[in-house]
Amino acid sequence: MDIEKRIAELAERLAYIRDIFGERDNANITLLASKLDEFSEREKTAQPPEKVRLLQQLEELFVFLEKKLETDLTPMDRVRIVRHPLRVSLKDILENVYDNYTEIGGQDEYSIDPSMLIARAYITRRRGDKVFHQPVMVIGQEKGHGQEFRNGGSVKPWGNAKALQYMKVAEIERIPIHAYVSTPGAFPVEDYPGAAQQIARNIYEMAGLRTPVVSVISEGGSGGAEAIGLSDLRLMFSHGYYSVISPEGAAAIESGIRQGQRAPAELIEACARRLKITAQDNLDMGYIDRIVQEPHLGARAYHYDFFKSLRQEIIKATDEVYLRMGGLNFFRARAVARNKAADAAEAENMYVSWTLDDAACDRLVWRRYQKYRNMAKQAFIDMRTPSTRFFSRTQNLLWSGYSFIRYDFLGKHEKKIGKALRDVEGEVRVVVNKITAPLRRGKPKNAVLACDPEKKQKLLELSQPEQGVCLDDWGWSYVSPRAREDKAVTCPNARISGCLDLWAPDLYGDFAGVCAHCGHHFPMEYQWYLSNVFDKDSILEFNAEIEAGNPLEYPGFDKKLEDAKKKTGRKSSCITFEARIDNVKIVCATLYSAFRGGSVGAAEGEKFIRALARARKKHYPFLAYVHGTAGIRIQESLNGLIQMPRVTMAVRRYIEAGGLYLVLYDTNSYAGPVASFLGCSPYQFSIRSANIGFAGPGVIKETTGIDIPPDYHRSYQALARGHIQGIWDRREVRKNLKQALLTIGGRNLYYR
Amino acid sequence: MIDVKTILEEIKAAPYEEIEITAPHTGVINFEITTPGVKVAGSSGTYREKPGTLLAAITREHNAKPIHASVNGEVSHIRSDLDGKFVEAGEPLMVVRHFLTKDEVVEAILQKVLFLFTAPERAKYYFIPSADKKIKASGCRSVTVKPGMELFIVSRMKREKPLNYEGPEGIIYAVYFDHDQNVDMGGPLIGVCPEDQTGVIQDVINRVQSDWEERS
Amino acid sequence: MPEKKHKVLVANRGEIAMRIVQACQKLGLPSVCVYTKEDAHSGHVALARSIGGEDAVYRISSYHDANELLSVADHAGATAVHPGYGFFAEDYRFARRVSERSNPLVFIGPSWRIIRSLGDKINTKRLARSLNVPTVPGSDRPVYDEIEAEEIAETLFAFQAEQGIEHSVVLVKASAGGGGMGIEEIHDLDQFKTVYRRIRNYAKRQFHDEGVLIEQRIFDFNHLEVQVVADRTGKSIAHFGTRNCSVQSTGRQKRIEVAPGFRPQEVHYAFDASKVLKDIVSYSLRMAEEVGYDNVGTWEWIVSPMGQPFLMEVNTRIQVENGVSAAISRIKGQGGVDLIREQIRLALGEPMGYTQEDITFEGVGIEYRIIAEDPANKFTPWVGRIDAFEAPVNDWTSTHTQIPQGEPYVIPTEFDPNLALAIIWGKDLAQAKQRGMEFLDKLILSGQDQTGDSLRSNVRFLKEKTVTLLQF
Repeated sequence: MDIEKRIAELAERLAYIRDIFGERDNANITLLASKLDEFSEREKTAQPPEKVRLLQQLEELFVFLEKKLETDLTPMDRVRIVRHPLRVSLKDILENVYDNYTEIGGQDEYSIDPSMLIARAYITRRRGDKVFHQPVMVIGQEKGHGQEFRNGGSVKPWGNAKALQYMKVAEIERIPIHAYVSTPGAFPVEDYPGAAQQIARNIYEMAGLRTPVVSVISEGGSGGAEAIGLSDLRLMFSHGYYSVISPEGAAAIESGIRQGQRAPAELIEACARRLKITAQDNLDMGYIDRIVQEPHLGARAYHYDFFKSLRQEIIKATDEVYLRMGGLNFFRARAVARNKAADAAEAENMYVSWTLDDAACDRLVWRRYQKYRNMAKQAFIDMRTPSTRFFSRTQNLLWSGYSFIRYDFLGKHEKKIGKALRDVEGEVRVVVNKITAPLRRGKPKNAVLACDPEKKQKLLELSQPEQGVCLDDWGWSYVSPRAREDKAVTCPNARISGCLDLWAPDLYGDFAGVCAHCGHHFPMEYQWYLSNVFDKDSILEFNAEIEAGNPLEYPGFDKKLEDAKKKTGRKSSCITFEARIDNVKIVCATLYSAFRGGSVGAAEGEKFIRALARARKKHYPFLAYVHGTAGIRIQESLNGLIQMPRVTMAVRRYIEAGGLYLVLYDTNSYAGPVASFLGCSPYQFSIRSANIGFAGPGVIKETTGIDIPPDYHRSYQALARGHIQGIWDRREVRKNLKQALLTIGGRNLYYR
Repeated sequence: MIDVKTILEEIKAAPYEEIEITAPHTGVINFEITTPGVKVAGSSGTYREKPGTLLAAITREHNAKPIHASVNGEVSHIRSDLDGKFVEAGEPLMVVRHFLTKDEVVEAILQKVLFLFTAPERAKYYFIPSADKKIKASGCRSVTVKPGMELFIVSRMKREKPLNYEGPEGIIYAVYFDHDQNVDMGGPLIGVCPEDQTGVIQDVINRVQSDWEERS
Repeated sequence: MPEKKHKVLVANRGEIAMRIVQACQKLGLPSVCVYTKEDAHSGHVALARSIGGEDAVYRISSYHDANELLSVADHAGATAVHPGYGFFAEDYRFARRVSERSNPLVFIGPSWRIIRSLGDKINTKRLARSLNVPTVPGSDRPVYDEIEAEEIAETLFAFQAEQGIEHSVVLVKASAGGGGMGIEEIHDLDQFKTVYRRIRNYAKRQFHDEGVLIEQRIFDFNHLEVQVVADRTGKSIAHFGTRNCSVQSTGRQKRIEVAPGFRPQEVHYAFDASKVLKDIVSYSLRMAEEVGYDNVGTWEWIVSPMGQPFLMEVNTRIQVENGVSAAISRIKGQGGVDLIREQIRLALGEPMGYTQEDITFEGVGIEYRIIAEDPANKFTPWVGRIDAFEAPVNDWTSTHTQIPQGEPYVIPTEFDPNLALAIIWGKDLAQAKQRGMEFLDKLILSGQDQTGDSLRSNVRFLKEKTVTLLQF
């Protein structure tokens, strides 16, 4: 009996190996297969002691060759490892790493989202003969070893919302969070709360979470990973991957294949390699802090040693975060900082209290911000000379100093004096009114008023002749090149709304790209906004020198970047500038689609963050004007992906400093940026032309099999779903923005 | 009681509809399909988002507009003599023979079975807002009409007036007019199924479902 | 004529299309007409066909679709487009497109910039004021400030009181509005705030603009017009006299026009009517000269019972009632003036060839608009089949109609049920009125609608109004 079981186990191990290595031939695998077959043959005839001996040999061979095969693993093999049904799942970890746990809000398929698992667990530690139960909130995706209803760990928007809810609970209960990331990506549906919008909310909240978070990444698939992955200390399984996009997705984009087709396997392999998705890659780039070593060919549920080391690592990581925040910690901090496997074992025996006081919480959040702020610094090109850098640093200091004096110091006193003056004035008025009341009563109400000749003149003569006779200024200051073509254009709604064809010069000129009949918005160039929304000649661009690079040396991408730079005459897809709208000064960051689809990489993220800092220091409102973004720039992989939390944290810092963060979507705005630093704004508006969402129709069909209606991402749907706060007509953007600035302004803005 | 079987036989004798495709406006026409007998498809996709077969393109003011097939069928006639020529609005361009589907056969028979409430004059017709809302939300069969009930708005010469339904009580089974399109006097507006006739109608549907063979 | 041989596309229908075709014929120019499915039996199609054959008519999908008109123009080899009135006549974008497309055509009308600036009511008012031309008292720019608005209203009440007006009324209207939407009147200042805020909020909701205009409401006024004609240079500008268009339907649609505007020789007025006519003519020409007006146009005026004229608006096109002015005009003593012909000729670049001194006026003209409608019932349009239409023929009458002679004609439901225009001439007002009555008495008009009811027309209304014409 026992032998059969052991044979079955070996067969399973072989099958696993075959799964992992995909279609590739490998001499070692062939050898294992033939040896296993050979043994099965001989097993029928051999005597029991002989059998046991042979089996033992075979098992040793397996161990030996698995070790050898380990060195052959390609990045794509690791992708197959994390997706394998035998891969350790969060349930396994809860069972084996923690001492006890209660699952919150889910029992198999009975859960608002079975792919998101939440549990209150504790770790028991002893100090001397005293026992301590240290509670944690465990949050993570659950793949359930291939259980259908777990959806492969692809979390629906409401699953992420539940995760956020319990992170807030942990914050209130002042217990640490352990986030286990194991998702191929979020489930891209827009139903409320919406894939992108919920992830954005999660990231925004996590940025300010006043309790330590330690994350452990097994499968870090893009936005879905960021939804719970923002943390103070980031661990990663040695056989996991962490990437901006699945290698298949990257390959599909690269080869330009159509929906339903498959990219060639070699290309997928190549993409997996180029995207630098392995634990070692991510450690080298600085996006994770430590690797948790797995057994050869990846951890499976029966690797008990692995659970033991994971337990030690996670305890140590949590201790480290707490100890860093101060208190009496000298020796213990040194101990955890030494970072050796042997010391990890010690962690369990050393007691660190998992509590923080308020001041420490402040430090925690600040350090978290710093941690992300310092990521991806090498991933863009900064061509500024040392002297300009010095100048810009000095300027920054001056702004900070000025705003401190102007707003924090003088502002407060001014307010006090102003209030006093108004009070006095009010008092005086009451007295004067009382004194003059009898005099005023003398005038009868309905007496014929003599017509003041000067006022009469106003009724009959030209008012304000200095403004000229013609009050209308016809046309816009930027006119699209398409307005120079003599041709008719058909509105896409013509069939339904009966719109007549429009003449291109009317449509793209006078009408600002809006169908005169049905109001359909044709896309317009970003230049149209730059010249027609802001006050004339008020745009002052800054940080234009910060340049998109190719940090991963992604093959062929240098050329593409070069082309984009040549085509647009700019260095990245983000333009940051100061401008005025009816004399209200603002800072604006624009993502425009002409440059690589408006995708966001390290340069764009950095520019965004610096623009936010500038707005914060100068006390200006901030407008993120999105003329289109296709998502995170995949060729930068993690250097791009990390901009999601990174920029969102900067947004949070700006909003908390009292700023007004407005987002205005124009054309197609999808994926990462919407799921983070754009989607987190409480004031997101859209121009009628926009499509807003997490994933495009093709991706949704591909990943979910759902056929979405053609108007699924239209701005009106986004409004109906509660994702955005209003829709504006393009011709009224300027007016609406002014209105918004006047009515919504944040508490620290200068015009208040 | 009507004889569904006979009507069905009649339709079977000529199981198609000839749809004339005309120029939507003036312009130069270029045929994409040049030989009769070609099979064409109407729009498809879950949301009818994929357009039908491209039949021709009409170019006016430097704007080439595609003309797609609206239904499945077979091209039976093409005015090839017009290819590359300027045509006036409404000029017949080709004829598509469309073989009736089960639903369309049911539709055709129902027109004979249902009580048809017709337009008293040539005008544009609309449902009154309350009925319109109900129809848009849950389909026309959710509306029960009674004689004397205010049901339509008649719009003519930019003036509107109400129109009351007259006829047997029943549910609206079919709507035969489009908004913004004139209906000639005597043209059907709605088909009403009296309560006691629902059995007959079910019978028609069953019969067609079992008897009719669809061809493409 | 200039060397280039022109061909005119008639971008209109019905009676005006026919008159354009006839004017072209007089000038020896070929013309092309368009028609829609519903209009296949209209007289303009038959007329164009009878002159130019099948190549002179094109079926199009809609008169409102500029693309149709221009694609036909190109195919037919037309070099000029006459918009008539209505449709594209005052659409500066259409005029711009016609003259700036890659195959440019002549737009028969003023140049597009003039249409644009005079098409804007506020602009026109400001232009008038800058030239000391009287306009309706009140604001000449959108007012956004409540205090300023209230002050204007207050002054307007005082102003009217000073003028001796017993019941002063002030209008508050949305500056971006039009067509009677977003207008309310106030009778005393206490109402102002509420009404002002209501209109402002309405304007904001409806037009996304809070601008409000505040004006005096003038009651019991007469509606006068000045016919202006100019050539392409914008330098030789003349007028063809005045018209009185005060007989209107309840919806402010004109029904009878009389030229000249007043007749002090036969009717007593409470003010100096000759001076008023002279003033509005010179005001109109002053503005036309200022903008370099370069085709036909009409300056519309309202004249208060006290004889004060106020400029209302400028129509930058030929008008329906152009014929009544032509009827009393003589150029160098010659009759048979056709303002549409003049319009086409001048638009194509011919010099005027005469000056104001060469234009004289003789007698009185009356134009009746004969329409299938029910004046007793808010002028509701009547639709049906015309079985007989026969206008008496005299040397003092001209009748324009698109109803084909000798066959029944079904009025298309898509358009207004205008049947005919009849222009009557008399040596003085008395004779013109008497001839008018005679004409209307002898007019044969019958028809039936789908329910069997017989035709309704405004003939009786026209007769009633003839009695008091030009009295004020």
